[in-house]
Amino acid sequence: MNKLAARSDRIVTAFAYLLLIVSALLVALPFLNLLSISLSSANPVVSGDVGLWPKQLQWDAYRYVIKAGAFYSSLRISIAITLVGSLLGIVLSVMAAYPLSKPQLPGRKGLVLLYVFTMMFSGGIVPQYLLMNSLHLLNTIWAVILPSVTAVFNLLIVKNYFESLPEEIEEAAKIDGASPLFILFRIMLPLSAPVIATIFLFYAVGFWNDYFNARLYITDQHMMPLQVYLRTVIFEAQDPSGNFKLDSTNVGSLAPQSIINATVILSMLPMVALYPFLQKFFLRGMVIGSVKG
Amino acid sequence: MITRQRTHIPLAANPMTSGPPKRRTEPGKGGRFRREGYGQMYLILLPSLLLLVIFKYVPMGGLVIAFQDYNIFQGVRGSDFVGLQQFRELFASEEFYRVLLNTLLINFYKLLFWVPLPAFTAILLNEVRLLLFRKIVQTTLYMPHFLSWVIVGGIFVNLLQINGGLVNDVIAWFGGHRVSFMLQPEFFRHIVVASAMWKEVGWGTIVYLAAIAGINPQLYEAAVMDGASKLQQIRHITIPGIAGTVVLMAIMSLGSVLTNSFEQILVMYNAAVYDVADVLETYVFRNGIGQMQYSFTTAVGIFSGVVGFVLVVTTNALCRKFLHRGMW
Repeated sequence: MNKLAARSDRIVTAFAYLLLIVSALLVALPFLNLLSISLSSANPVVSGDVGLWPKQLQWDAYRYVIKAGAFYSSLRISIAITLVGSLLGIVLSVMAAYPLSKPQLPGRKGLVLLYVFTMMFSGGIVPQYLLMNSLHLLNTIWAVILPSVTAVFNLLIVKNYFESLPEEIEEAAKIDGASPLFILFRIMLPLSAPVIATIFLFYAVGFWNDYFNARLYITDQHMMPLQVYLRTVIFEAQDPSGNFKLDSTNVGSLAPQSIINATVILSMLPMVALYPFLQKFFLRGMVIGSVKG
Repeated sequence: MITRQRTHIPLAANPMTSGPPKRRTEPGKGGRFRREGYGQMYLILLPSLLLLVIFKYVPMGGLVIAFQDYNIFQGVRGSDFVGLQQFRELFASEEFYRVLLNTLLINFYKLLFWVPLPAFTAILLNEVRLLLFRKIVQTTLYMPHFLSWVIVGGIFVNLLQINGGLVNDVIAWFGGHRVSFMLQPEFFRHIVVASAMWKEVGWGTIVYLAAIAGINPQLYEAAVMDGASKLQQIRHITIPGIAGTVVLMAIMSLGSVLTNSFEQILVMYNAAVYDVADVLETYVFRNGIGQMQYSFTTAVGIFSGVVGFVLVVTTNALCRKFLHRGMW
């Protein structure tokens, strides 16, 4: 290779590294700034002195949020929605995926279409709201959970997985006269740990991050999940206790922005803690989802 | 939901088709039905199917209220039937066109960046040979994908606040005037696009990285033998290698051009920017649920739903025809 080409190659490579460093910083620095402000005292925050490192370190913002009762109650509701919703979602997805993975099941095509159609068309906001209202599910966690536990994408992942298992696995049990229910729970399920872990994370992240359904169906302040509560803190400068507006006069030595940021960071912790698993399993889920050509 | 589906579509090349039916010659269909336990199969499917019908299909039936003057006390059966009056009002309403135009503006603005940025980033990542560096960059760029819109909103509010926000500090440092970004209509759409890119570009690289990984390495080897430079390899091997995926992603994104951005805007907007922020669904949400204009906003919902459906089906048909890949 001639000298000129080698030099242009080095420039391309350097350019790639440089741009990637810049884009990684563009993503990372806002987090750092968020954190620094949550840990700094009022004076440097208000005068705009805090950049990427805390000034006049304090932890009181976190103490303040943790002491606010509304944070806990919304956290509890979010945890309940996430756990109950994910478990129910897994059970229903697995139970629906198994019959639908049988190519000879009469009516299978129509049934699959019935599911897939809901990915492309829905009754929309108002009819869904009116349905919840007439079922008396408004302001309950079920309003958030039940419409989402038939997530078609997750169902298809499990269905594809079942289809990828060799038929011989079931054959022996079938000859012994085992029922489909027995085969599903005793033979298929133990083989499905990786795919169940994957859809568990899909469901859990979906429920944990869901804002719209909760905003639509839950208006009672005491039933608000974390995301809805968090939005009132961030965008309406609601005090984390839920009782008054945040401004510099009523939170004493702390800047309101420090309190808001501390609430954001505390709400982020579960996703940050799970992140290594999320990255791995979300990538794997995309692969499992595409096993079938 | 929508972004999540979108990122998965291209890899899930064809999840819907089953394998070839494995028919064995079996005398009598009824015997087979019992032997395979199909009765119990339907029973296993039933709970999920019931919830699907109740929570997805019953609301579709509820769309009839768009043809009524619906009153919550009289219910669907008691309310007056008004035919197409809501739709006539809708198509005569200036506000509707404003919101529709706004929806298209915001989502096409997003598309402008959503297709090239992740592809470009993936090409850059592919040039990196230091695995640790690559891993660190990927881990950083993927992170925001897992955060909710509320948290991303919180991060941007913090960056853009008027006193002490990093962006305003930089502006002030250069001698400019501080701006209350979140309250200014002229900035809102830029903030929506910027925050969406911040959240999703990293994760969006995955499809393109997969496409690059699928390129035959012998092509690069041959190019190196012929003395091709890096730039030439990118131009003549990498870019043609991912062109199909780029087109696929662009067409797919067109399918969600009416529904995209809804949750993000619902989180980030406020009364000061409604004029430039409203998309069809935020408009339905605020006026339908908030103002109880149930019938009128359901008509808006039907418009958005039907057009969205046609778009998705058409874009998929296009992808199947020209790229031989589709969502199903």
